[in-house]
Amino acid sequence: MNRRQFLKTTAAAASVYPFLGACEQPIRWEKSAYVKAKSSRVAILAADSYANGLRDTILRGIKLFQMDLTGKRVLLKPNLVEFDPKGVINTHAAVIEAAIDSFRSLGAREVIVAEGPGHRRDNEYLLTASGLYDVIREHRVRYVDLNSDDVHLTKLKSSYTNLKELYLPETLYNADLLVSMPKLKTHHWAGVTLSLKNMFGVVPGSVYGWPKNALHWAGINGSIVDINSSLPIPRFAIVDGIVGMEGNGPLQGQAKQGGVLIFGPDLVAVDATAARLMTIEPRQIKYLTHAAEFLGNLGHEEIEQIGEKLDSHQKDFRVIDKFTYLKKLIG
Amino acid sequence: MNMLEAATTLLSRGQNSDGGWGSVAGKGSNTEATALAFLALRSLGGHDIATQKAGQWLAERQNPDGSWPLSGMMKGSSWSTALALIALSDSADQRDRIVKAGNWVLEQEGSKPGILANLILALSFEKKIVHLNEDLIGWSWTPHSFSWVEPTSYFILALKKIKSHLPAKPVQERVEQGELMIYDRMCEGGGWNYGNAAVYDDRLWPYPDITAIALIALQDRRERKENQSSLRALTDMAQNTGSGLALGWTLLCLSIYGQDGAELKKRLEQQFVKTKFLGETKALALSVLGLGSGARYFRV
Repeated sequence: MNRRQFLKTTAAAASVYPFLGACEQPIRWEKSAYVKAKSSRVAILAADSYANGLRDTILRGIKLFQMDLTGKRVLLKPNLVEFDPKGVINTHAAVIEAAIDSFRSLGAREVIVAEGPGHRRDNEYLLTASGLYDVIREHRVRYVDLNSDDVHLTKLKSSYTNLKELYLPETLYNADLLVSMPKLKTHHWAGVTLSLKNMFGVVPGSVYGWPKNALHWAGINGSIVDINSSLPIPRFAIVDGIVGMEGNGPLQGQAKQGGVLIFGPDLVAVDATAARLMTIEPRQIKYLTHAAEFLGNLGHEEIEQIGEKLDSHQKDFRVIDKFTYLKKLIG
Repeated sequence: MNMLEAATTLLSRGQNSDGGWGSVAGKGSNTEATALAFLALRSLGGHDIATQKAGQWLAERQNPDGSWPLSGMMKGSSWSTALALIALSDSADQRDRIVKAGNWVLEQEGSKPGILANLILALSFEKKIVHLNEDLIGWSWTPHSFSWVEPTSYFILALKKIKSHLPAKPVQERVEQGELMIYDRMCEGGGWNYGNAAVYDDRLWPYPDITAIALIALQDRRERKENQSSLRALTDMAQNTGSGLALGWTLLCLSIYGQDGAELKKRLEQQFVKTKFLGETKALALSVLGLGSGARYFRV
């Protein structure tokens, strides 16, 4: 047994400690949290740049899922964690702009852009520096800072952490659809950061601080699952994989051309597909395996891939040394 | 109407009927926004009814243990206790509240990673992700979690302002330890972000707002080389950063350190024309404080 195997074994033992003696793995979610379908559809659409035909591609991607958006309030949740003029940290403003246009054209009553940046409190700086301020002003879209929104105490529907409950922003409770819009990135703590991890941004910094360290202390993998099991509205994901990040993500990695946008209503399946596009094995990502117990589908056989073929768009995203084991794809 | 008048009007209009302010107009009152707006209007004079109501909001929200909750709709103690204390620290009639809150502050401290976590890390022989001294304790955002630069700076400043009401030795010990923690987290070349200077071997960059807040907390250490380099870093950052929050805190800091902020005041006005600071109460309040004579509330 090498050191990594030893650590994995001891970590696994620690995680089941309260249930020692039980023969089966304990169920750590409420019945009402179970939303996993028999199979899930995920669309991969090619997109080479942030300029040409982006709005048409995003509209086409959303239409593939035939959602009834008439009269709905749609909340777009991009990843806007920090800004580096030389980096590719955030969901590109052009992707958000195209999504605003698309959801409106499909009949949404209101489109809101909302984010609770994880490192910086300074929304005004992040919005103006990233170009998103011009988008929301031009399109007359409401922006909500989820870090300082009014809050509701929400009982968590799963217990992969000891958090039990979290304050969540009121704006979530007043929307009909939450669209997670992450960047395709590797992550130095969690392996990858995609549509599920992007939901860290809905946890209010004014309550939990910057960075949202209370979630790290509770366990980053468990927190991702517990947040996603407990959000009060349906979700959809649009992953900005046109240019992603490899290496020491989510902030200091290097830009990597992905050339795709990924769509779907099952965030676990979307993230699994996004990971495979980075040639990262999703079944080795701890939070994805937990989420696949009840929130969505992870396996190839349970995901119906539509749009482009996965293997024709796979790119070798580099990971930091401790995650080299993620690069062995299964099947 | 000049920018100071326009920002003051926006700020005044945002006051809730309960006397407090929310993060933006229309949101429920919270302690941080109310404390900063209260100080901003007080700094101008002539807003007696508004400041009286705000002072009352703050006084009535104090918890029995001396702390303040984050907002009117939440129970429990919060980091924003430090800002309520700073806001009320000059009020002679609030002495009992200040003493009670000060004692609560002295009891709070950030936590360290547990023995098990350290053991696992040591056994893994993995490269350390972050490089900071976990034994230095300041204040955290939430109970039982790690110390970070912004809450530690607020609490240090609050303790320095009310130290005459508290026993000297515990105040000195906590302040010194908190200052060491802040210096330990300084970015290379000066300045601070939330509290992490590097991940693996990649350096992280400082933020102007946090750098200004930390420098204000460390104002009585201004001769230290870390303060000097961070002050230079702040003035460099201020050239490229446009936001009410960052420029407001920077102006307050420069005033406290005796530096000229005339150019930044012009930039603040230009930014206000462009964005109205997104209507954020704290940015409006800090800009009013920074443009006027608000630095006196943050001096020790």
